[in-house]
Amino acid sequence: MKAVCWHGKHNVQVDRVPDPQILNARDAIVRVTLTGICGSDLHLYNGLVPTMKDGDILGHEFVGVVVELGSGVSNLAKGDRVVVPFPISCGDCWYCQQELWALCDNSNPNSFLLEQLYGDTGAGIFGYSHLYGGYAGGQAEYVRVPYADVGLQKIPEGLTDEQVLFLTDIFPTGYQAAENCAIQAGDTVAVWGCGPVGLMAMKSALHLGATNVIGIDRFPERLELARIHCDAEIINYQEQDVAETLHNMTGGRGPDACIDAVGMEAHGSGIEAAYDTVKQSLKLENDRPMALRQLIKACRKGGIISVPGVYSGFVDKMPMGALFAKGLTLKGGQTHVHKYVKPLMELIATGAIDTSFIITHRMALEDAPAGYRLFNEKKDGCIKIVMNPRLARGAAA
Amino acid sequence: MELTHEGGRPGTGGKQKRINVGLQERNASMVGGAALALSGIKSIAKKRFLPGLAQLVAGGMFFYRGKTGHCDLFEAAGIDTTSAAEKGVRVEKFLTINRTPQQVYEFWRNLENLPRIMRHLESVQVTGENSSHWKARGPGGITLEWDAEMVEDYPGQLILWRSVGDAELPNEGTVEFREAPGGRGTEVKVSIRYYPPGGRAGTAAAKLANAISAGQIEEDLKRLKQILETGETATAERTSAAQ
Repeated sequence: MKAVCWHGKHNVQVDRVPDPQILNARDAIVRVTLTGICGSDLHLYNGLVPTMKDGDILGHEFVGVVVELGSGVSNLAKGDRVVVPFPISCGDCWYCQQELWALCDNSNPNSFLLEQLYGDTGAGIFGYSHLYGGYAGGQAEYVRVPYADVGLQKIPEGLTDEQVLFLTDIFPTGYQAAENCAIQAGDTVAVWGCGPVGLMAMKSALHLGATNVIGIDRFPERLELARIHCDAEIINYQEQDVAETLHNMTGGRGPDACIDAVGMEAHGSGIEAAYDTVKQSLKLENDRPMALRQLIKACRKGGIISVPGVYSGFVDKMPMGALFAKGLTLKGGQTHVHKYVKPLMELIATGAIDTSFIITHRMALEDAPAGYRLFNEKKDGCIKIVMNPRLARGAAA
Repeated sequence: MELTHEGGRPGTGGKQKRINVGLQERNASMVGGAALALSGIKSIAKKRFLPGLAQLVAGGMFFYRGKTGHCDLFEAAGIDTTSAAEKGVRVEKFLTINRTPQQVYEFWRNLENLPRIMRHLESVQVTGENSSHWKARGPGGITLEWDAEMVEDYPGQLILWRSVGDAELPNEGTVEFREAPGGRGTEVKVSIRYYPPGGRAGTAAAKLANAISAGQIEEDLKRLKQILETGETATAERTSAAQ
């Protein structure tokens, strides 16, 4: 089969690789019908995540059709259209039972790596380096899905792939980020990053009852989407002073909750940005926390900082003093997707929320190398790319 | 229930003083001590009583220390010159499993299950009510076998087994099962000790003992947890051949 494979920094290629097989009784094989490139895939593309091996298959946002089932799966049938959550979760450990699916004890065969690195392991993840298990990813024609009896969720009739694709990752991610803000009526929620996750977070915040939503970014097309689709007040941080503008927009109080949908590859300007960028390139600092520092300074006293943006290592100069002095709560982590698929699928089915508006580029799986480059450079108004393994190279659906 | 073996081999009976003197030093101590004692006797014979007595006593102490392997002075100073092989390889690991203590106990008590979780074991055969025969695989294709007996068996709480007779790799192990708080299942504590004997046979045994590192036992326990909780062991391999 064809698959998008990692071959080094800024080097992905579509290769011919063996088809996946059923290895355990609870496995399923899914034929992929639509798959996306995630902002966190860019961390792999940019060589920032260790333990990638030449030839690893990328991708963790994918939907498709069940083509084969292990003997231990009885709640699904061949031919079922399914959504596949990006964390691989067993459903039987204490964490899965507490609905902390992304913290599954059992699904990461390389758990000793994360145990060394962080103190304990998280769930395995499709296509996200050997730290997270080395599982083959979903930017491919077929994928082996472990624990399919708890992992796969059926797509109801009448919903297209484009409508449900983002249930695999970014919609639950934005939703969990907003939920973590404990939003109450009257709240203002500020979101750093108007990319796909930020946009999902803004939509979710509104749905959860926020009175005002503010989006911060530097790309006009992203700010426009936030303004039009998420009813957001927008701040372009290259043209305005974020701290001052937030202060003014909230009557001097600061936003009640701040969402960091930027993560470790934050872009900034000025001396601070130079510091972090230099240190990161010298491998003295893993992550660039420019957005996070701003969030902490801007958030109102007693407020909540919610971090769906991916961080992998250490950051310098974290304003712990501000966090303490203002009594802030910091919540973060990988998304417990399994918990959200059904309820969010409902919202989509009833038309309460649409997520497909973020798709700007549709291409064949074989055009992935160009797609990664485009997405990374944010050229051509690129916000979200989706790929169809059945499209011919060069076609635009 | 607590196990308080600290040094000393299983089956030697009674509470022993800790061995804290290395083998070579013990030999030197015995030889030197004997020589000193002898010279002390000669001195006494020449009517030099005090020096002679001193030499005899000192010689005796050195000899005793060489013979038993225990030196009070070392103990007081916190010195231990035994090598790891002489102390045995000791591994202690903890893990929480989301099943009841009785369920985890029952899986382990059926010793024939153990090769499913401990990769270095080729087979464990139950040969009697409390006895079993174990076969292990080591690096370089070496295989070792031994008989073991179940010494303690408290259902849902504790299992203690020990190799018997002329085992190629003497060992003993305990598994304790304790209910974890807040409905989290069972806290499992595994303690295993391997004592590679000296000599050529001992080299293979020592290799195996070293191969069964703490990291390996930890991975074994994870397999136990996965099998009991999910019914299978997690793998990210692409093909069954690679598993």
